[in-house]
Amino acid sequence: MNLLPLLLYGAAAVAYALHFARRQAGIGRTATTLLMAAALVHTFVVAMQTMEVGHVPISNPSRAISTAVWLLSLSYLYLEITTNERAMGVFVLPIVVALQLIPTLNPGVENANPVLNSGWFFVHVASLLSAYASFALAGVLGLTYVLQFKEIKKKQLGYFYTRLPSLQILDAMNSRAVVVGWFCLTIGVVAGVVWAAQARAAFANDPNLQAMSLSDPKVFISIVTWAVYSFAMLSRWTMGWTGRRAAWLSASGFAIVLVNFIAVSYLLPTSHNF
Amino acid sequence: MNLLLLGVSHRTAPVDLREKLDFSSGDVGAAVQELASRASVPECVVLSTCNRSEVYVANENLERTRRDIIDFLGQFHGLPSEAFTEHLFTLEGREAVEHLFRVAAGLDSALVGEPQILGQVKEAFQKASERHCIGPLLRSLFDRSFIVGKRVRKETALGEGAVSVSFEAVAIARKIFGKLEGRRVLVIGAGDISTLTAQHLRTSGVGEILITSRTGAHAQTLAEQVDARAVPWRELSATLATVDIVVSATGAPRHVITRSQIEAATRRRSQPLYIVDLAVPRDVDPSVVDIEQVILYNIDDLQARVQQNLTSRTAEMERAEAIVHEEVAGFLARQRSLSAVPTIKALRKHFYAIRDAELLRREGKLAALSPEDYARFEDVTRLMIERLLLNPTDQLKALPDEETQVAYAEMLNRLFRLSEHDNIDEDVRSPDAKSRRP
Repeated sequence: MNLLPLLLYGAAAVAYALHFARRQAGIGRTATTLLMAAALVHTFVVAMQTMEVGHVPISNPSRAISTAVWLLSLSYLYLEITTNERAMGVFVLPIVVALQLIPTLNPGVENANPVLNSGWFFVHVASLLSAYASFALAGVLGLTYVLQFKEIKKKQLGYFYTRLPSLQILDAMNSRAVVVGWFCLTIGVVAGVVWAAQARAAFANDPNLQAMSLSDPKVFISIVTWAVYSFAMLSRWTMGWTGRRAAWLSASGFAIVLVNFIAVSYLLPTSHNF
Repeated sequence: MNLLLLGVSHRTAPVDLREKLDFSSGDVGAAVQELASRASVPECVVLSTCNRSEVYVANENLERTRRDIIDFLGQFHGLPSEAFTEHLFTLEGREAVEHLFRVAAGLDSALVGEPQILGQVKEAFQKASERHCIGPLLRSLFDRSFIVGKRVRKETALGEGAVSVSFEAVAIARKIFGKLEGRRVLVIGAGDISTLTAQHLRTSGVGEILITSRTGAHAQTLAEQVDARAVPWRELSATLATVDIVVSATGAPRHVITRSQIEAATRRRSQPLYIVDLAVPRDVDPSVVDIEQVILYNIDDLQARVQQNLTSRTAEMERAEAIVHEEVAGFLARQRSLSAVPTIKALRKHFYAIRDAELLRREGKLAALSPEDYARFEDVTRLMIERLLLNPTDQLKALPDEETQVAYAEMLNRLFRLSEHDNIDEDVRSPDAKSRRP
């Protein structure tokens, strides 16, 4: 079910790369059309899974990743349409394709554990997935800022210089993505804490719930992520950490998010695996 | 209908003659109207910029039209014709189309790829259109030239890259800061280069320009000229901490901005500080580039960029010329297919006339048919004619040049005696409308 969106995302990625290299408006429009088609098909996939299990498919890691990819593609499309700037697509789409490979190869079965049947749980996961989508965009924007800054500073005004928007625009978009992501992350963490407290009382025998604490790798890394992005925001507002420093912070933040979202979910034993 | 172009440009005439033949400083619309009032020049456009004064005319008798335009130029500008005829260039047909497309694309500009020319072509067309001096040929020609101009700008990098040092310095500033509104700039020195750069920065829309110079009076004079604020020399270090862009162009024999000054100025700053050192010997200690936030460009860096831009513009010219050639071929093919229309019409008229005559001749025999059968019979004969004419129509529209087209038209005229049927006044597009039965 996830194959068709993957193929369309793949085609869009190729078109964005071609557009970046050749800078032809026609190819750019094709890239956007392909991505819109992919997002539309993906919307149907998510909607069908929602109808199948009665809620948005987020309680299994593979399906949660698929939903996160869907949110990321929609966020990117929003960014592209509001800024009329397609250059970021070449950086965002490979992430989209790489992440979408996971649910395509390993579709997973939606978890029917009654522990997860709670409004707080869905707020928790939906907010975190939105946060991850925003952080993915912020990470890409940070990375492109660093690349372009390096070219300008070293006076090698070449490939990225002619294709990327100005440093100021990259920095402003990065700041916006970090703020949106931070709010979603905060809501997600708070909802998670509330849900865990309620679920612990209701399901006293569930070993996962009882083991849930700061020593759990997923919880711990989430707190680190929150701390990194809180610092990114505070340092921007109070110490004037904009530009390159903000760019590095958001790129590092996204690396931590990826570790938590992918590596920890699949490789480490964690109380978050229900 | 043919196309004629007469004019002077920076390639054919010196500036003093171009000034005398200029229309742009006066009422171009009135000039077009006056020109169009001459019997031989009903359809015309006058394109006048600082680099060219060109008259585009669609007419049959080109030699007479040419004489009329020369008379008009002389009378309108109060010049004897011998003062400018040797600088006039004349282009006809394909060459005139190609010239206009190259002009709209910026390929014929003194500064290749400059963006203003397309707007000037549009304005010239607009002025002629307002005075009702535009016919079908000029309308389709100019409409297409706008598309050519847009295509070249979109599909090539012809207009990209600044071709002077101060423009390049500002282009880099835009790549760092985006829009320059709200940005503070410090100009150090009050000589010619500083004046030019400050003027350019002012027109680029920067927020505030501060000027400082060892001689305070010079800074004050320049500040008044470019709507800036003069800052005392002793406040240089403090001012450095408050600006985003520094442009230095003094005649000092040693560095006027030291590393320690920039270190102090950037201590609490994480946004880039862009320093442009246009002086020789250099004003800014080159080691400031090691400071994280500092982006430093000197005159050699900028000149190398300008040279690169010029080279890449030349490379892009080939791609732009290819687009122009493609568009000229397309435009001429469309025009030829239009000029094949009379022959195609005559041929259809001829075929349908034969069919109608045969139907009339056999009216008695066909009377036995029911109305439905008669209608079907008519349909079959009509379809046969349409099928017979399909290929010849396509082939006539696609003939490669005007000469071949004339030869084919003559041949068809002779084969089918088309001219003899000219008096048959029938609607050839809906022959069944004249069905003899209800």
